[in-house]
Amino acid sequence: MPMAATELLGLTIKEVAPKIRAHEISPVELTEAALTQADRLQPTLGSFITILHDVARKQAREQEAALMRGEYRGPLHGIPIGIKDNIATAGIRTTVGSKVLANNVPTEDAEVVRRCKQAGAIIIGKENLEEFAAGMTSNNAHYGAVHNPWKLDHVPGGSSGGGGANVAARITFASVGTDAGGSVRLPGTFCGVVGLKQTFGRVSQRGLLVTSYNGDHIGPLTRSVHDCALMLQAIAGYDPLDPSTVPVPVPDYTANLGREVRGLKMGMPANHYFDLLDPEVETAVRQAIAALEMLGMELRQVALPMMQYAGALRIAVMADNLVAHEPYLKSHWHDYGPDVLYRTLAGQFVLGRDYSKSMKVQRLIKEEYARVMQQVDVLVTPTAPIPAPRIADKTATLGGVTYPVRGPGSGVISRNTTPSNATGLPAITVPCGFTEAGLPIGLQLIGRPFEEALLLQIAHAYEAVSAATGRRPDMLEQG
Amino acid sequence: MVLTRETLKALIQEYQGFPLSDEELERVRPELENYCRAVEQLRALDLSAVFSGRLLRVQEGE
Repeated sequence: MPMAATELLGLTIKEVAPKIRAHEISPVELTEAALTQADRLQPTLGSFITILHDVARKQAREQEAALMRGEYRGPLHGIPIGIKDNIATAGIRTTVGSKVLANNVPTEDAEVVRRCKQAGAIIIGKENLEEFAAGMTSNNAHYGAVHNPWKLDHVPGGSSGGGGANVAARITFASVGTDAGGSVRLPGTFCGVVGLKQTFGRVSQRGLLVTSYNGDHIGPLTRSVHDCALMLQAIAGYDPLDPSTVPVPVPDYTANLGREVRGLKMGMPANHYFDLLDPEVETAVRQAIAALEMLGMELRQVALPMMQYAGALRIAVMADNLVAHEPYLKSHWHDYGPDVLYRTLAGQFVLGRDYSKSMKVQRLIKEEYARVMQQVDVLVTPTAPIPAPRIADKTATLGGVTYPVRGPGSGVISRNTTPSNATGLPAITVPCGFTEAGLPIGLQLIGRPFEEALLLQIAHAYEAVSAATGRRPDMLEQG
Repeated sequence: MVLTRETLKALIQEYQGFPLSDEELERVRPELENYCRAVEQLRALDLSAVFSGRLLRVQEGE
């Protein structure tokens, strides 16, 4: 690939968009560069299920023609992005990472896809994920394992692992992922990029396939907080055909970026989030919190005692997942990979009484967060308790206890991300450091409902001083 | 609380009709053990005064 193309892909959306608007770079040129990079790295990363050469080239030509007519559609105009393969794309197969839906071709775009296209983005591929988005490793039984660009023998996180890998490897400028328990934020932290799960109801889920109605979100992965704001701007808003969305006005998410954070209050939970951590993760996150204090934020300890019952939240998820799989499980159970099959089947044991109790616990946890969020503007936590495990690892050891990292009984990786799926509160991960082995670590900020602008403002301020900002995977330095 | 293999068989094979082997049935167990632990933990928690509803603080109509 010519050096110029590599350099183009190394820019952020914020940096490249003005060049497109000024006709210095064409959407066709940028898309060709992204497709070339995708083809070059696919054998190494396994990050796509389908690369959309023809579709992307056609979209790029259309966007270029629009530009030539003077129709600039905004900062995503001509920007190559990826879409997780559990989000419907009209006329393009959408497998949900499964063999069951290997030939599924939706007739309609998901609402977020429609919005991205309307904003002028170019979709270069459907991204690999954990089978049925049901796990945190993106080691897919049918489409292969996604590899972490920072260390190829490690997982990229999941379930939106293809998206995290593509953004980190400078193949795409952004990815649209989904997050039912951390599936945007975990690839964000493991791949050293920004990942946002906005407030439940902020972004339409229409067209998100085989999922629970309770707690799933579609959200962006990007290389910077500013780009995250640009992506959220494009996909946020009420969808009259999705009753989970809320008619709250969409603010300008970039308006507060660059404003100082002095005087804002951050809460550090005294329990749950820091209870079970890899020492290198804990050190990096505490340094990040100290950096926010240096920026003038006030640190307060907060308590979330109801989080001792957080395990109960999984009860509802088990039952919801079983119902989501009902159309396929009976007739196609032999097409399921073992991790998802056995985990899903366990949902049959959930009693209605226990489900109801789980929903009551969820309510109590929500009330507790609501009270705490009256005292502080954001919570600060590690995004994941450990750095990315090896692809071959079946377990991880924390505090002397061994936990499964995939399949039935797993969940330790997502213990800091799943609470925000239950509360619906917005949460973002920002790179905050690296382990000695060179694996990224993420800081999670959790905000109040529909206050993504404030969350992005704080994340942006931190990003400017983060030790992790500006580093690229070695595989890119080696060309 | 321990789920016996007979219970696993009754629910997965006989009631739901999945012809899994004994070995495959055992692979469901770790998820169920998490479930049982969570249920056990809830026994002492009084949930009788909890009402349904959401608590999102939304400023509507702006």
